[in-house]
Order: sequence, then structure tokens, then C-alpha cells
Amino acid sequence: MPIFIVDGHQVEFKPGQTIIEASRNAGISIPHFCWHPKLSISGNCRICLVEVEKMPKLVIACSTYASEGMVVHTKSEKTIDARNAVMEFILINHPLDCPICDEAGECKLQEYAYSHGKGESRFEEIKNRKEKRVQLGPHIKFDGERCISCSRCIRFSDEIAHANQLTFRNRGDKVTVTTFPGELFDNPYTLNTVDICPVGALTNNDFRFKSRVWEMSSTDSICIGCSRGCNTEMWVRNNEILRLTPRKNDEVNSAWMCDNGRLNTFKFVNAENRIDGTYLRFNGFLKKAELSSAINFTAKKIKEFKSNEIAFIGSAYATCEDNFVLAKFAKSLGVQNIDFPKHIALGDCDDILIMEDKTPNSFGAELVGVKPINNGNSFESIITNIESGKIKALYIIDEDIASISDKYEKNLTKLDLLVVHSSNENKTTALADVVFPSSTYAEKNGTFVNFNGRIQRIKPAVTTEEMDRALDGMNMSRWDKFGTKFDRWMQGRRVDAKSSWNILSMLSLHLNGKMKYDMAEEVFADIASSIEEFKGLDYDMVGSKGINLKIKESIKVK
Amino acid sequence: MERIVLPDIPNLNQIDVYLTNGGFESFKKALSQSPDDIIDQVKKSGLRGRGGAAFSAGLKWSFMPKTTDKPKYLCINGDESEPGSFKDRQVFEDNPFQLIEGAIITCYAIGAKVAYLYIRGEYHKWIKLMQKAIEVAYDRGFLGESMKKTFGNDFSCDLYIHKGAGAYICGEESSLMNSIEGYRGYPRVKPPFPAQKGLWGCPTTINNVETITNVPKIISNGWEWYSKIGAQKHPGTLLYGISGHVNKPGVYELPTGILLTDLIFNTASGIPNNKKVKCVIPGGSSMPPLRGDQLEGIRMDAESLKEAGSAIGIGGVMVMDEDTNLLKVLIRITHFYHHESCGQCTPCREGTGWMEKTLHRILEGNGTSKDLDLLISVAENIEGNTVCALGDAAAWPVKFMIQRFRDEFEQYVKNEVTIPVPNKVHSMRNTSAPLANLHK
Repeated sequence: MPIFIVDGHQVEFKPGQTIIEASRNAGISIPHFCWHPKLSISGNCRICLVEVEKMPKLVIACSTYASEGMVVHTKSEKTIDARNAVMEFILINHPLDCPICDEAGECKLQEYAYSHGKGESRFEEIKNRKEKRVQLGPHIKFDGERCISCSRCIRFSDEIAHANQLTFRNRGDKVTVTTFPGELFDNPYTLNTVDICPVGALTNNDFRFKSRVWEMSSTDSICIGCSRGCNTEMWVRNNEILRLTPRKNDEVNSAWMCDNGRLNTFKFVNAENRIDGTYLRFNGFLKKAELSSAINFTAKKIKEFKSNEIAFIGSAYATCEDNFVLAKFAKSLGVQNIDFPKHIALGDCDDILIMEDKTPNSFGAELVGVKPINNGNSFESIITNIESGKIKALYIIDEDIASISDKYEKNLTKLDLLVVHSSNENKTTALADVVFPSSTYAEKNGTFVNFNGRIQRIKPAVTTEEMDRALDGMNMSRWDKFGTKFDRWMQGRRVDAKSSWNILSMLSLHLNGKMKYDMAEEVFADIASSIEEFKGLDYDMVGSKGINLKIKESIKVK
Repeated sequence: MERIVLPDIPNLNQIDVYLTNGGFESFKKALSQSPDDIIDQVKKSGLRGRGGAAFSAGLKWSFMPKTTDKPKYLCINGDESEPGSFKDRQVFEDNPFQLIEGAIITCYAIGAKVAYLYIRGEYHKWIKLMQKAIEVAYDRGFLGESMKKTFGNDFSCDLYIHKGAGAYICGEESSLMNSIEGYRGYPRVKPPFPAQKGLWGCPTTINNVETITNVPKIISNGWEWYSKIGAQKHPGTLLYGISGHVNKPGVYELPTGILLTDLIFNTASGIPNNKKVKCVIPGGSSMPPLRGDQLEGIRMDAESLKEAGSAIGIGGVMVMDEDTNLLKVLIRITHFYHHESCGQCTPCREGTGWMEKTLHRILEGNGTSKDLDLLISVAENIEGNTVCALGDAAAWPVKFMIQRFRDEFEQYVKNEVTIPVPNKVHSMRNTSAPLANLHK
């Protein structure tokens, strides 16, 4: 590969790469506001001005192509003078409201002001006033004074969301971002602009003023909003999820996620109606019970039914581990009626990220064995057979069957035994004889397989009663690290819940001693040794960005 | 002296008068030669762009790719918005057909089928005049498909007027292209240059109205003839637009390289009431100003003015007499560039406003000598760091005016001031409630 020189280092580049891209690949970062690797080049912020030998003027590293033998100085006196000058210009009209700005702590301008600013201003005039608190769309508030007119949001709206809803209005230092007259900034991807905004000009209505960023821990996770499996970061403070942000993964979601996934896939974790502890039906009412007595009760009850009178329902919201243990448990009882319901929203998809399958793991659930065995009943016929009385006992993990339709709800009442794993109260738990509290995807280790066979890991970000943030190696914020359990901000709710695989493993141990797992990793090791597509894998190999399973052409998700 | 762009012929703006005076003969002559020959002649003639940068027109044309599967375009820049410039409208008014003929010769030379004439929106009257001239040219078969019949050649091209919407920045060539395409008038980052990737991503040449109007005469009279007029390195005539404190302001067509003092004291008949000249801006408001007591020997061509520490720009000479308050002049100029900055890139967007605010503070009597140094520093921080030349245009007047007239500016500032309104914007609120008095 050709080579050019940056600050004395030899840097390889591919022809067609700009100075900023090639340097970045070599670990030399050049400051930038308007440049974004996923967007077109605008060249307006001028902070990336660098000195290139034999060029008369400084050039912007974001739009100048690297060429063989080019000598670039990113720390020369001329470069630093220009960078300081640009910083000074950007700051003269930028409000110094970092103490109340949501972006503080993850603000490019703030970072560069520390690393490249002069520390004082020569500007003694009155700052420009612009519109504040403009509701650009359903999810976004805009602060014109904080805006540094980098145009990232406009380019995102045009180039990624294909929505063309934002533009600049006015000229010079009156320039401001706006929608077209009478229109809203309303498309399925608007909140990505909050992430790429280098300052606090665009804020998320849902997260505004909720937390300083350093008070939250961030944990790698996967969005459960659809079968795309967008890589996310889950931000937690005081054991409460406050926001999700996309995590870069070029194989899956580039650097984006949809607004629906961002806003509507974590609130149930924080919700009031979480199932906290085990419940048994007693004289017609669900009463809190010891986990061990519920396991005793369930084990005893299941034995009363013949294997063809029992059915198991897995879940595409649950992990591969949960579903695998469920399938194994069913097999140990000789039950062939096992399946999971699909959640397909026909037509609700696009060619950007959103998929019709609204679950994160239908491919995975099927691969690990949650599908009718031999002549076993599929999901639809399980329901029919409940109605006809052929199936008398139903064991459901992490699915709210009763809410799918009134008919299903009515059918469930005909059962002799209904055991449900659930994280939240719902119509199905209301009918159950036993309710086990299952952890949400935010509280456990596990894996999902997305629509095209990529296996990806989730990690616990929220602690349940059985976990400890420090001892279990979970990500911690400054508050988590330095707080004590007596501190107000350390007293968030911890739900008494367990992963579904864990509950099933305890039940199995009690019932027939066929399974015993202590960690999700052990379950996964079992999956890897018994299921063809997972052969040879472990959590380390799956890593933080996932890995494509070797899927046979014949297997296709319906 | 023969005038090239605005010949002294009555009613030349009538097509028949134009035709009886050799109209469209140059194009016929051009058609008998190859496009490369035309480019070569224009190159040899030494014709330099009249839009401000004084770049060789022939050289610019030669940058157009010879083989391309894309259409090529010609843009003719008549945005003419620089304070002190009012020459192109004289062409629209008095010699529209020579401009049209220049346009078709240029299209032939560079291989363009379409030319756009970009005229500033404020020129309603001249847009109408030009539109009428273009319609006449179409009717008589000098433009469009019927050219083929008129000239017995396969070549034809179209000419359209695009009306600006009132932004100075649209006179910058890449903003002009964005404007024609229907986008915001934002300058484009160069490279790629217009000849590689211009209008709609196709090879494009952009020339000033006056430059294009020169072309027919170069073809008809030969490049040797043209190269001998005026200054050797910057030949031809210029439309000098003289304004300010002179007895006879106006547009004068004279050779390049004439003495600036001749222009002011002979052509424009000197200064009213025989006052002294304090300051001259020789090429439009963005060019570095010259001191009135240092005008001797300065000639009006690109090389000579560069040596004198200024530039020819568009040849708009602004003269200021001894009674002029240069601080007010500078505020007015700076206000213009602040108002017209497109706001795309940081140094110009933020710096132009800063300079204007500081200058206003000095005018209010609250400036110090330090502020003058600050202004120069801010100007230098804008200069060269922007996408387009508007940054330089805003910076130069401030930098050079203060540097060259420091003695006068020192009179407007004090040794020490207490700024009555310090930067307390952060305590200003949008409510009508009074601010809390912390000292109570």
C-alpha cells in the first residue's frame, strides 16, 4: 500500500482515502466536528486544518486525499494556531451552559475546548441570540445558540434517513437549522441526529435533563425491537435504564438505530409492574411464595400429566440459552409439543434497518430446538388443542400469549396447569397458576441470532437481587465506583428475578436431575457442543460485535 | 483608443446596428477554426479574468476535459454584487449581443451546449433587457437549434438567464453553481474544481461577463492585436467603475496599466472642492485599501497593484477624500461582509460578526488600542482558513485599513475603557422579570 507521512509517522493508505481517514486508521486522530465517517464531506467546521508540505495554504484533512509521499503536520505551529483560532471562533457565540447541557461529558466541543482551546476568550461583545427549545419533531428539541452549524443532522436526514427534512435557514452568524415550512422532523431515525450532534444543540425529549453522562454506566447490548439486532449501548444510573444509543457495527446497523427501538425497548425493564419474586395461585389468588416451594409445586404438578397433554412455549424475545434449556427440558419429559409464536408486522419495514419480524431471536429460538418435535403440535395447533382439551398443561417462557388475541386468552382459562415465566405483569400472568420472575434482556448474559444468522451477545446492565455490579464484572459509572450502599443514588430497585434458563435448570434438577447449569456460559457451551450451527463457538469468539453462524442454505426463517 | 467592450457606437444594443458593425462575424470566423485553436488564441492574447482573480481565461478553458461522456457547461457570472462594482450592467445595457456572441464562441471553444447567464436579482431592469436581447438572438437564429442553419455548421448552443435571489455569495463561482442547481448558495470545497466537477457534477467553466464580452474582438482582430493593448502582463481594456469623492463618477473603458492618479484626476476630473485624497480602494470593497499620499506611480493592472500591496479585483475604484471617517467606512464594509457571509464555515461566519461588533464598540468610544490589534488578529485568523474567498474579502479591508491608517484609527480609541456592557449574556434571561440583585 502507498505511504504518506503524518507527524513523522509513516502511514499506509488506500488510494481515495482522505488524510483524516487514513490517519484515523493509523491511530492518529485529527480534530473534527463536521466530518463523520458515515456521512458525506462538508468541510465547513475548519477544525481539521492541517499543514501539508508544498501546499501554499493549510488544507482541511477531511477533504484532502492522501497521496504518496505527502508530508502532513498535525501538530506544527501553523496548524495549532489555525486550530486555536477556529476553536475561538466557534466558542465566541456558543453559550457557556455546560453545567445544564445534556451533552456535557460527551461533547466534542467541550473535549476540544480542553485540548485545543486557549482557556480564555478575547471576545468582549454580546453573544448572538437564537431560537431556543424548538421542537423540531416528535422526539427532538433544538437549541439554536448551541448549534455550531456543522450540518451533520442535515446530511443524516438527507443521506441516511432519506427524509430530506432539515435545512439551514438564514445566512452568516444568523444561520440556524430548521425544518421546511409546516413540516416536522419526523422519520423513524430522527434520534440518531442527537448522537451525531457534536454539541448539545439537538436533545432527545425522552432523555433531556435526566442525567449527566458520567453518572451512568454503559453496557454493550442488542436492541430487541426487531430481528435486525442493532448493536446498542445501554445507559444505566441507579439501576434504572435511562437511554439506549446505537453502537457501531458495520455488519449490522452501521452507526444507527431506529427511534422505536431506542425509545420503546427498555421502559418495561424500569416499569412498576415488574414481577418481583415468585407467585403461586392460592385459593384463586396469586400469592407471593418461596422460589423453592414454587419449584416443588410445579415439579409435582407436571408429573400428573401425560407427555402429550403438556406443551411448551418458547420465546423469540428470550435468549438462545433460555430457549435451548426449555427445549432440552421438554425433551427430558418426552414432550413433543413445543414452539414459539411469531410477531410479524407485515409491511412495517424499510431498506434501512427496520425488519418485519419484531423479535430479536426467532432464528435463534428455532435453531436451538424450539420447534415441534416429530408429530408435536405447532404454536397454532397447541392453542387449538388447548381449546379441545387435549393439552391440559402449558409452560410458557417470556411470552404474553393472552394479549395476542381474546381467543387465546379465553383458551388459556381452560388449562389445568399454566406455568409462566415473565418479567412483567400481563394478561397471561393473570391467568397463571405459577409465575416465575424472569430477568429481562437487560439483566442477563445470553445470545440472540438476528435475521441473517449473526449471533450477538447481550450482557447484564441492570442488577437483579442475585447480582452484584462489582463482583459480577458489570460496567460501572463513577457513581457506582465511588458510591456506597448508603448513598441515595445507590439505592435503586433490584428485582428478585432470574434468567429463564436458570429457573428451568432448577426445576429440571428437582424433577429428574437431567440438567444443572450455574452460568449462561455453561448453557452456551452445551449449545456449542450439541447444535451444528453453533459448533466450536464460545462467548469470547462471539465477542462484542457478533459473528455469522454457518447456516445451511436449507434453513430459512419463515 | 478603440473601446473593446463598450464601443462608442450609438444603439449598439439593437441587433441590426450590431450586425452592421460586424456582429457575429467573429463567431463565423471561430467556426472556421478548431476549438483548440480558439482556446490557444485566447491564451496567447493574455486575456485575464475580469471577475476579480485575474486568472488567464484561455488557461481556464484548457482545463476542460477533451474527452468526457458528460455534458459541459458555461456559466457567465453577472452577479456583480461587490460594493464599488457596477460595470457588467453597462454591458447588459449597451452591448448585449457582443456578450451573447462571446458566450457562443466560448461554448464552441470548450464544447458546451448550454450556457447560463447568472444575473443578480436586484438587476430587474437589466435582466429584462438581457432576456429581450436573448429572445431576439433566438429569433434571428443566433442561438439554439436554428444556429445550425444560420451559420451552416453542426454546432449549436442555448443560453439561459438565471436570476439571483439577493446573495453576494452567489457571485462566488461554486456557490453560483449551487444556486443554479437550486441549492443554497454555499461555496463548494475545492478540489474538485469546476472544470472537473461543476454544474450538476459536469465539467464547467465560469467566466465574468466582461471577460466573455472581450472574446469576439480577440477572435476578429487577432490575439496579437489584443496582447499589445495596455499592460503587457495584463492586456486589454478594463471597465473602471469609479465612485466616491470624484467629480465625474461612472464606468470608463480604458486600457489596463494606466496611472491610478490619471484615472482619478483626469478621467474622473479630480476630487470635489480640490480636497486631498485620503484613501483609495482600487478594485472593489474587498481589496486592500491604498493611502492617498502613496498613489504616485501606481498603475491599474494586476501586477502593478500587487506590487503596491493591493489587487485589481473588478476594477471598482472607490475614492475617499480627507474628510472621510475611515472607521465608519470600515464598519460599513465589514457590515456588508458580515451580512453576506453565507455562514457555512466557521471563521467567516463567526469572525465577520465579531469584527463588526468590535468596530461598533470603537465607534461608540469604548475601544482601546488593544482592540485594533485584536481586529487585525481576528482578520488574520479568518484569512486563508475558509472554504471560499469571502473570508479573505472580509479580512483584508479590516487588516489593511487598520495597518495602513493606524494613525487615524488610534484617534478613535482610548488608552483605557471600562466596557459598560461586559459580556453578561449568560445572565440575560428571556423573561421580563428583573434579574436578582446579588448585592442586596
